[in-house]
Amino acid sequence: MLPSLFDSTVWATLIAAVVAAVASILFLRTREFFYDALALAVTEIGLLLLAAGIVAGAITGRMTAGLWWTWDARLTAGLVCWLLYAPYLMLRSAMEEPTRRASAAAVVSILAFLDVPVAVVAVQWWLAHRSAAPGHTSGLVPASWGNILPVILLGAALAWLRLRREQRRRAADAERRTAQTI
Amino acid sequence: MNAVAVEGVWKYYGDYPALRDVRMEAAAGQCLALIGRNGAGKTTLLRIIAGFSAAQRGKIKIWGKEPREAETRRQMGFLGHGISVYDELSALENLVLFGKLYGLPDPRKSALEWLERTGLERVRNGLVREFSRGMRQRLAVARAFLHDPTVLLLDEPFTALDDRAIAVLQRLLREALAAGKTIVMSTHQLREALELASHVALLSRGQLAFHGERTAEMVEDPGYVYARYGEGA
Amino acid sequence: MRFVRQVLIVAAKDLRAEMRTKEALNASLAFALMILLLFSFAFEPTQDTMRDISGGLLWIAFAFAGTLTLNRSFARELPNDCLDGLIAAPIPGSALFLGKCFASFVLVLAVELVSLPVFGIFYNVHWTVQLPELLLVLLLGTWALTVIGTIFSALTVNIKLREVMLPMLTYPILIPALISAMQLTKDLVNGTPIGADNMDWLKMLIGFDIIFTAVSLALVETVLVG
Repeated sequence: MLPSLFDSTVWATLIAAVVAAVASILFLRTREFFYDALALAVTEIGLLLLAAGIVAGAITGRMTAGLWWTWDARLTAGLVCWLLYAPYLMLRSAMEEPTRRASAAAVVSILAFLDVPVAVVAVQWWLAHRSAAPGHTSGLVPASWGNILPVILLGAALAWLRLRREQRRRAADAERRTAQTI
Repeated sequence: MNAVAVEGVWKYYGDYPALRDVRMEAAAGQCLALIGRNGAGKTTLLRIIAGFSAAQRGKIKIWGKEPREAETRRQMGFLGHGISVYDELSALENLVLFGKLYGLPDPRKSALEWLERTGLERVRNGLVREFSRGMRQRLAVARAFLHDPTVLLLDEPFTALDDRAIAVLQRLLREALAAGKTIVMSTHQLREALELASHVALLSRGQLAFHGERTAEMVEDPGYVYARYGEGA
Repeated sequence: MRFVRQVLIVAAKDLRAEMRTKEALNASLAFALMILLLFSFAFEPTQDTMRDISGGLLWIAFAFAGTLTLNRSFARELPNDCLDGLIAAPIPGSALFLGKCFASFVLVLAVELVSLPVFGIFYNVHWTVQLPELLLVLLLGTWALTVIGTIFSALTVNIKLREVMLPMLTYPILIPALISAMQLTKDLVNGTPIGADNMDWLKMLIGFDIIFTAVSLALVETVLVG
């Protein structure tokens, strides 16, 4: 179960990245806040799943190769992608005004998405240079495709729940603000 | 064609409507005083007209065009809460910079001319960092008028000016109106603004509560508009 | 042609303002030299170690010190609401962006060109063997740092914790460019010219510069006007 957990999360998080990028572009085009909430929800859930996958991958490495971090190409690339999107959440929490926050977040999401393929390739090239550590794999194709679909479905469900929660929170906020000005 | 046309503008901050379906226009040569309580949306509306932020719904037309087009921006002069000049540069360097940015044929000549018109020619090589408050404000006025805009947008221009700066600004605004420019000016300092204004618009909680000609009663009793059309009415 | 002139006007303005105070320049240079000095305490300066760490060390110093300069890029427009004046001016957002990029590029490059000889002295490394190619990598890597740093400088100009958010946003996205620059610099400092072995890194660096310059230019109006 564990060995393929990271691989299972890879597809789910890639889908999350694509959805976030498309939602961000659609927000910038239409200025509908639904797309902003969608981008936020999939990014959060994507980061959560990816973190779980990376931790599972590290644990696997510890169990099989005795090392917590084996500089496996896919795990390392996954970590870099996590670092690409974590600032998205940090940025959002540093901005209060919803419209500027949504625009800024959309820009970050688009730039991060464009960097994903470049970063993954760069990491793979770099690790091909280094000497192989035990348990190290340098390919990009996952070792097994076992649990991909369940993870994707789980991710979609979590993202949908997160989206609904975000929409409820925003509606409550708007009511509160309108009440304050009357 | 109107100099400034605000067509059904809505501005939301998240889900909160700061401006609701604002429709108004300022024809060429008019001086429109935009009045309203704090938080009514005057600054928000002015900044949308000037092109600093975008409305979620509705349009702004300056001489029938988008405010963000380069040609339109050349026609607009904006004076906001900040002076928008650089502390580390001299008065002359600042105006020459803006002259170049606005594509003036002889930036240095225009800069010297406007330094003279705002009474700053003697300190032209002084760094703005060392200026008194009134001097900084006069330089800001020079910057706004430098490129001879046809539409002037001023956000509470008389607030916190010293007497000399007020006199300079009033003189320049009168000259601009005499030359056929259009002015939209938000204000608290009702007397100075209303004297210059040909028209008045009242914003109340993001909505246009009144828009019409400026009458003598308004100048005599600045609270008149609020009382008649504002929240107390 | 007018576009180029507008870019130069903005760049000249930034450089003139910076030269008056030299705040960012001095801080950036001091920081770079400090990093080089501190790291010299961490390593035995054997030839092998130097061979391995030169690229990484130099680009860490450049990236960290460069952030100080890039932070100032749009932050210098905050006092007096100067940013309003620039946005209202009839120049395209892309001209404003590129003007600031060039100004920052010159300033960061200046710090790097001073840091290189200092590195050579502290670490006893002869780094001028492949000088033209090294300068090329310097230019390309610095441009990557500048472009990403400037777009995020514009993005974060008004938010709280700007000084923290700018590096947090910039460094992850720069990883591919930094890896490329580090690998190329390591090879060039050691006397290996750019050839079949490391040409890929050069291609990645150039590709990165092109893609992110184009995308930043496309997004700049959104970032400035919101």
